[in-house]
Amino acid sequence: MTKRLLTALLFVCSVFLFFTVFHTVALASTGKNIRPAIPRIRHVFVITLENKNFSATFGPESEAPYLAETLRARGALLTQYYGTGHNSLDNYIAMVSGQATTPQTSADCNTYADFHQTGMTPDGQVVGDGCVYPASVKTLANQLMAAGLTWKGYMEDMGNDPARESSTCGHPALNAVDLTQRAEAPSAAVPEGDMYATRHDPFMYFHAIIDAPVCKSKVVNLRQLKDDLRSVATTPNFSFITPNLCDDGHDSPCANGEPGGLKSINTFLQKWIPILLHSPAYKQDGLIIINFDEGGSGEIKQSMIGTVVTVDGASCCRQQKGPNLNQQYPIVVTRLSHGRLITKRTLSFGGDRTGALLLSQYIRPGTVSNVPYNHYSLLKSLEEILGIHEYLGYAGQQGLAAFGRDVFTSN
Amino acid sequence: MRTFLMLGVLVSAGTLCVTESMRVSAAPAKTHSLSTAAALGKEIFSDPTLSASGKMACSTCHIPRYAYGPASAAAVQYGGPTLKSPGYRAVPSLRYILNYVPVWSHARDTNPIEQLTETDTSPAGGYTWDGRFNSLHAQALLPFLSPVEMDNRNVTELAKKLSQARYAGAFRAVFGKDIFNHPELAVEKATLAIEQFELQDKSFHPYTSKVDRWLDGKATLTPQELRGKQLFDDPNGGNCASCHIDELGANGAHPLFTDFQFEALGVPRNNEIPWNANPRYYDMGLCGPFRKDAASKDPANCGLFRTPTLRNVAIRRVFFHNGRFHSLREALRFYVQRDTNPAKWYPVGAGGKVEKFNDLPARYRKNVDTTDTPLNRTTGQKPVWSEQDIDDVIAFLKALVDQDEVEKEDGTSTLPARASLQMPNQGLCRTDPRCSTLGVRGVCHNDSIAALRLGAIESLIGRAH
Repeated sequence: MTKRLLTALLFVCSVFLFFTVFHTVALASTGKNIRPAIPRIRHVFVITLENKNFSATFGPESEAPYLAETLRARGALLTQYYGTGHNSLDNYIAMVSGQATTPQTSADCNTYADFHQTGMTPDGQVVGDGCVYPASVKTLANQLMAAGLTWKGYMEDMGNDPARESSTCGHPALNAVDLTQRAEAPSAAVPEGDMYATRHDPFMYFHAIIDAPVCKSKVVNLRQLKDDLRSVATTPNFSFITPNLCDDGHDSPCANGEPGGLKSINTFLQKWIPILLHSPAYKQDGLIIINFDEGGSGEIKQSMIGTVVTVDGASCCRQQKGPNLNQQYPIVVTRLSHGRLITKRTLSFGGDRTGALLLSQYIRPGTVSNVPYNHYSLLKSLEEILGIHEYLGYAGQQGLAAFGRDVFTSN
Repeated sequence: MRTFLMLGVLVSAGTLCVTESMRVSAAPAKTHSLSTAAALGKEIFSDPTLSASGKMACSTCHIPRYAYGPASAAAVQYGGPTLKSPGYRAVPSLRYILNYVPVWSHARDTNPIEQLTETDTSPAGGYTWDGRFNSLHAQALLPFLSPVEMDNRNVTELAKKLSQARYAGAFRAVFGKDIFNHPELAVEKATLAIEQFELQDKSFHPYTSKVDRWLDGKATLTPQELRGKQLFDDPNGGNCASCHIDELGANGAHPLFTDFQFEALGVPRNNEIPWNANPRYYDMGLCGPFRKDAASKDPANCGLFRTPTLRNVAIRRVFFHNGRFHSLREALRFYVQRDTNPAKWYPVGAGGKVEKFNDLPARYRKNVDTTDTPLNRTTGQKPVWSEQDIDDVIAFLKALVDQDEVEKEDGTSTLPARASLQMPNQGLCRTDPRCSTLGVRGVCHNDSIAALRLGAIESLIGRAH
């Protein structure tokens, strides 16, 4: 080849590279997406657990060795995965919609209050307060349905006590007190008890889902998962699995007498992960994501006058606070408990570091990624993996990383 | 993590054969078939020959025609061999909760930080005021063996009485012809039969109150009753519904008016209870003296009692676990004025200071709820309810009385005004003006009181509790 030819080729490549980069940035800034080179995964299972910081879950003293050792050895550990808020609910909402925290979702919406919208930001954040977003706010589930793909939410215990919540699409009456905030122990009438928590079921906070007839067939009790896993055709493209308040580690001890915490997480995963791994859909093109809603770390200091709890609220990935949190950090809240003053200091709005674990044939066993991710990254990743060409809310944040070659290390 | 307030342990607590109800049927109570075991349980429930006195049955205090509660205003009922032994706690109604009482539990957040900052940490469930029984049949054994109730020395003695009962033949037919050769098994079957009666018989859960009909769209609440409900519900006012849940269930189930959680309300000490003559004796509910498991060892549990249902509360004449109040109006006044006017409810101590929460040792008084509305007021503040408000709330609570009880109030009752077994203590309440209005008979058990020392109490407790 002559020097002139090489120069021409270099020029052509440069032009191509320029337009590729320009096009990518332009699409991202307008909420559009082009898929990077990621494996052809068509069945994703997300299992979301509760309130654990990275070191407790994946550290050497973990009480969930099946997760921290067995599964870690065969999957990809995301060491820098962060929750996006405290307490639970705002994290779940971020995962499926990209919407940021509101004062109510941060407090877990003890009242299942309708969202009062007063505006919309250019980057897709609904301005206002409340819990149940208006029908105009879409979720990953709505995106999937629009794309002709399938989804389901599998909620352990939902409907065990039919007086507490329905067995499908179970949520409190609008603007009523949420009676699922605490677990119900077994009784003569409800022998298994009921530890379903609406606040851990993200789909229940969107009119775009709960007002749709499909909600009753899409958000179901976890018992249905085994049947759905029997064939590729009956397995949804996207499955969101929420264990009950015991099995997701939220409680310890639990209302049903089980130990809870990481021990019950371990037991739950030992039961369900093999079932998922042996399902035809997973074997064909599956991905399992095990994450936690928020971290549980912080500092506790005792003194003569009381207890001071400091929660970092750390975040990653240039996470934004969103338009609805008007408080100035640190936030300090005090209350009396059994005659003792409890002071809680929350330093920032993040959800702290939790870590996450992914399993797939497209992941080389023992993979470790130190790339920072959060729940918005998860949403962006799910959208990319499932071929959705639009990012919701803060999943469209410019420069936000999605799971890439650092995770999918095996072809 | 909602905050919980309990209107408090408005209904009394006793220990005889506890039952609770189903919440799915809104049909009027009517005769219906019971299983053979349940039918046998019904016989046992009302059989006084199973007691040492020969005069006391479960139904003596849990009177079916008084919503399975007591007819009298006595703080506690009297039992034992001569019906002179005072009970420890007020007798609760058995209607409307039995099959929905969850087993006792105290679920906590795993995260230590959330444990410190959570506000909804109350234990819940279990039968009786302190939740120490996880099944109806386990609870049903208590009154049979309690020295202050039916006073059987042991299961062998009780089994012998069962073998001589009028229904002994039916008992053999149901549980085997040689069942009485195995006393422990016979007693176990008897308690299981009672459990089935309590779970199956619709008289325990008739759902015939005006509120039930209103929830079904078949009745209209008066403006006063509706105003009472608003006051009852208001989270910044009465806040009663935060514990005494009054909304329809997701499946249309009618509410039970309890969430089964434990609460410390700091009800004043009741000197009508003879045991309280001993200044060292405290009934601290979840942490003893009757409950002795790990939960009872947690100081934070001292003073907590399980929230009762408020259904049929308006026909009661004894309120709270210790029966301290004898009218619904006084119970409600205490609830909203406990902190705004404490001198009205508690005695003044040696230093001239009002001794709030004086039915608990001083070290446990910090457990009393002072954070949930309306229990977060301070002395001199205006109570959240006026007298008119209290009238309205009472009107609403009266609409919670089942139809059969309403008919009694209308004069159709055939029951005497008071059960014959109550033996209030004249001596202890001699200075209490209420005694003159109670119309109680019997003698005061000063002898017993004089003999009561903590050791003696524990001895009694050890035998039956």
